[in-house]
Amino acid sequence: MLGSGLCLAGAIFAPLSYFIIDSVPLTAVGISAIIIGFTCIALANTRPYISAEACEVMLKTGMENTAALLEELGLRNKAVYLPSTMRDGHPQALIPLVDKGDIQRISQKIPGRLIVRYGVNIDDMAIAVTTPGSINIDMLETKPGPTSTEIETAATYILTGLLDLANSVTVNLSDSQVNAEVSGPRLHYEDIWYYRCLGSPIASILAAISCEALGKPVRIQEEDYSKGKSRIILEVLS
Amino acid sequence: MRVYNKYILSLALAACLINTLLALSGQDDLAIYVAINIIAYLIITLLYAYLNPRARRALNTIAAVSFAGFIVMVVLKVMEIWSGK
Repeated sequence: MLGSGLCLAGAIFAPLSYFIIDSVPLTAVGISAIIIGFTCIALANTRPYISAEACEVMLKTGMENTAALLEELGLRNKAVYLPSTMRDGHPQALIPLVDKGDIQRISQKIPGRLIVRYGVNIDDMAIAVTTPGSINIDMLETKPGPTSTEIETAATYILTGLLDLANSVTVNLSDSQVNAEVSGPRLHYEDIWYYRCLGSPIASILAAISCEALGKPVRIQEEDYSKGKSRIILEVLS
Repeated sequence: MRVYNKYILSLALAACLINTLLALSGQDDLAIYVAINIIAYLIITLLYAYLNPRARRALNTIAAVSFAGFIVMVVLKVMEIWSGK
């Protein structure tokens, strides 16, 4: 509507200004309006085929099914995000059935099943689930490299450009931590079972990108929201 | 503010600023106005590189058309200079 209005107004105003009013600056204003109008039309036509409400329903359905599974099994452990090289082609989250705190020793490829063994001990069992972050990795044109700039660029592309879930993302990388600050997040952390295990969808996306970039398992250590910003700390496991 | 709103706002502000400054400087050549507006459009569109792929494709089409228009204007200007008019 805005685009068509600007195009129409520009198309009427530009020749009127040039031939009748005889003003070059006003003609330029008309031409600028046409350019901006076409841009608005182009952007409006790129809106997703599925409505935001339908997407929300599907996200909630998936989250509630996973939450029901976690609650039924009584799992409260934080998930470990694995890169695609350790799974069957796309990154997934692993929720240990027993919290032993030494999940760091995952080194081999985990089989592509729901219930998996990640270690040599009898209780080294976990369930592997697909998260919003796992799916989004496929949307990246190239796999990000192991630097903070590349992780930040990939996170900005997905969270800001593709999904429009945040205004901006800043990532800092240290030896065993990834610190991310997300400005204007549209999905906040809630104290629910699903988020306590797998993190909020934004943290999940950041964790999936980070583990894929670093090629190492990653765990969401901390997540808090204050003054319009989400601060997410990811622990890099080796 | 969403990224698409920021992008449109940036384009509108840049166009306003360019047209106002050129008008204040007494510029009376329409080709100069259009050329500078197109350059600003191309720069701002490049800066928003992380828009989703479908939006990028649509914007690249508009950018290509604008660039073609810019090239035509440059060629006409060069021909005008060469012919000594």
